[in-house]
Amino acid sequence: MAEIGHGGKEIKERILEPAEAKKRIQGLKQYPIRSQLANEVIDIAYGFFSPLEGFMGKADVESVCKKMRLKDGKTVWSIPIVFDMSNEEIAEYGVKPGASLLLTYTGNPMAIFEIEEVYEYDKKSLAKDVYGTDEAKHPGCARTYAYKDKFVGGKITLVNRPKINEPFTPYFLPPLELRKIFKEKGWKRIVAHQTRNVPHTGHEWLMKGAWFQTYGELPMDKPYVGVLVNAIIGEKRKGDYIDEAIILTQDELRKSGYFGDHNHLTSLTFWDMRYAGPREAVFHAALRTNLGLTHHMFGRDHAGVGTYYGAYDAHRLLESLKGEINIVPVYSENWLYCPHCGEITSESLCNHKKEWQKFSGTLIRSIVQDGVKPPRLIFRPEVFDLVLECAEKYGFGSPFVEEEYLKKRTPVFVMPPLA
Amino acid sequence: MSEKYPINLWVNEERYEKLQKAGLAAMCQEMLAGLKCIQVYCNDAQKDKILKVFPTAKFDSATTKSIELLPRQVKDKIFDLVVQKQSIDIMDDFLKNY
Repeated sequence: MAEIGHGGKEIKERILEPAEAKKRIQGLKQYPIRSQLANEVIDIAYGFFSPLEGFMGKADVESVCKKMRLKDGKTVWSIPIVFDMSNEEIAEYGVKPGASLLLTYTGNPMAIFEIEEVYEYDKKSLAKDVYGTDEAKHPGCARTYAYKDKFVGGKITLVNRPKINEPFTPYFLPPLELRKIFKEKGWKRIVAHQTRNVPHTGHEWLMKGAWFQTYGELPMDKPYVGVLVNAIIGEKRKGDYIDEAIILTQDELRKSGYFGDHNHLTSLTFWDMRYAGPREAVFHAALRTNLGLTHHMFGRDHAGVGTYYGAYDAHRLLESLKGEINIVPVYSENWLYCPHCGEITSESLCNHKKEWQKFSGTLIRSIVQDGVKPPRLIFRPEVFDLVLECAEKYGFGSPFVEEEYLKKRTPVFVMPPLA
Repeated sequence: MSEKYPINLWVNEERYEKLQKAGLAAMCQEMLAGLKCIQVYCNDAQKDKILKVFPTAKFDSATTKSIELLPRQVKDKIFDLVVQKQSIDIMDDFLKNY
């Protein structure tokens, strides 16, 4: 049976068999790509970005910027997916409509890029439309301004499957594989938890709250609802938790029994966050629709940065797109510790307002950095111990990204030589 | 009255021992389900200076309204100054060196 993704299109992987791949890449010029583009090549080829079949041409980019839809005028899409090249590279590699390149990554063949269009696009206008600001200090704008001279649109076909390195291997679950797992588990509804963080109990209760909200009227005779933690793995900034700590601690909540196999699963998506706030929320809705999810948690200031977006801007934008996106938004407020209740509770539930003790991921990072083990009501001891283990095993002594980690870490994936 | 922004000095065993030796254990307050903490306060100008001098530091404007993610060594220095002066009013002294 066809697996239908975002925009009502069937999800089809764009991956060649090795024998066919070897034939097709003969004589193609090899062009090495950076990690952002390699991530997006994987997302396109495995169907994370369905219905996209490649990098966007100008009509799509314009339509996405101005109308938040692909050029068909119907399919909601909020962030341009573009491939940039310098004028010199375009000349050197003979990039023009009708030509093809062999994209390489970590020194080996990755994908065929069938070029359909080479074009310019005003970066300031793109930034303003997507991020609501053209300030260079916004990380999404900064990324936009760093793009090279021109954009190249065209279809992508993977010629070689990536080798996902440990400990990430079990968490790379592309859309078709993930949908199969959901069927095996018998889940009728699955709610997405978007994360780039090590979980504290506020996050845990966000998930538990969303699980209740999603369960709704379904019978309780069997577990019909699951939470999918979909960690965004991409460019790291100094001070972030290291990727290994994020993915392993999220899964630890299941392994340590705070959830179980019957209602919790962890996977990853390769993506460099744009911090586009409301537009990134819409992008997440499309992405998670492709993963086979029925519901998606959206908290306050979803995927925002600084003070660029209001706490509920993303909720309002998603509401305005009702009927056009095929995933049910599950809105959530912050969870906090109430000493009077003696438990984690929500701003919407508890009325001991004067006693509330709010905490955030930043605050917990600060506690961990001070070498203090937080109480189990705030941070699970299994999670804390694993954070320290990850620091030793993967982080060169620190659970946070430092210069040494950026230089020496084992990459999340590499392209192996073509078999 | 101008705003005050706390820096949370989380008290681990080592820090608690120092406080006890100086007879200052009562300075700790309990936060987050019993976690011991000493809060020293910055005014607007001190907050801005801290964020400028220590680029990894972050003002958590959304949730806790506190200055977080100062390097451990920096917080150790602030903590030692609290013990030495037996006061939490030490930010002027601390920032003199920066």
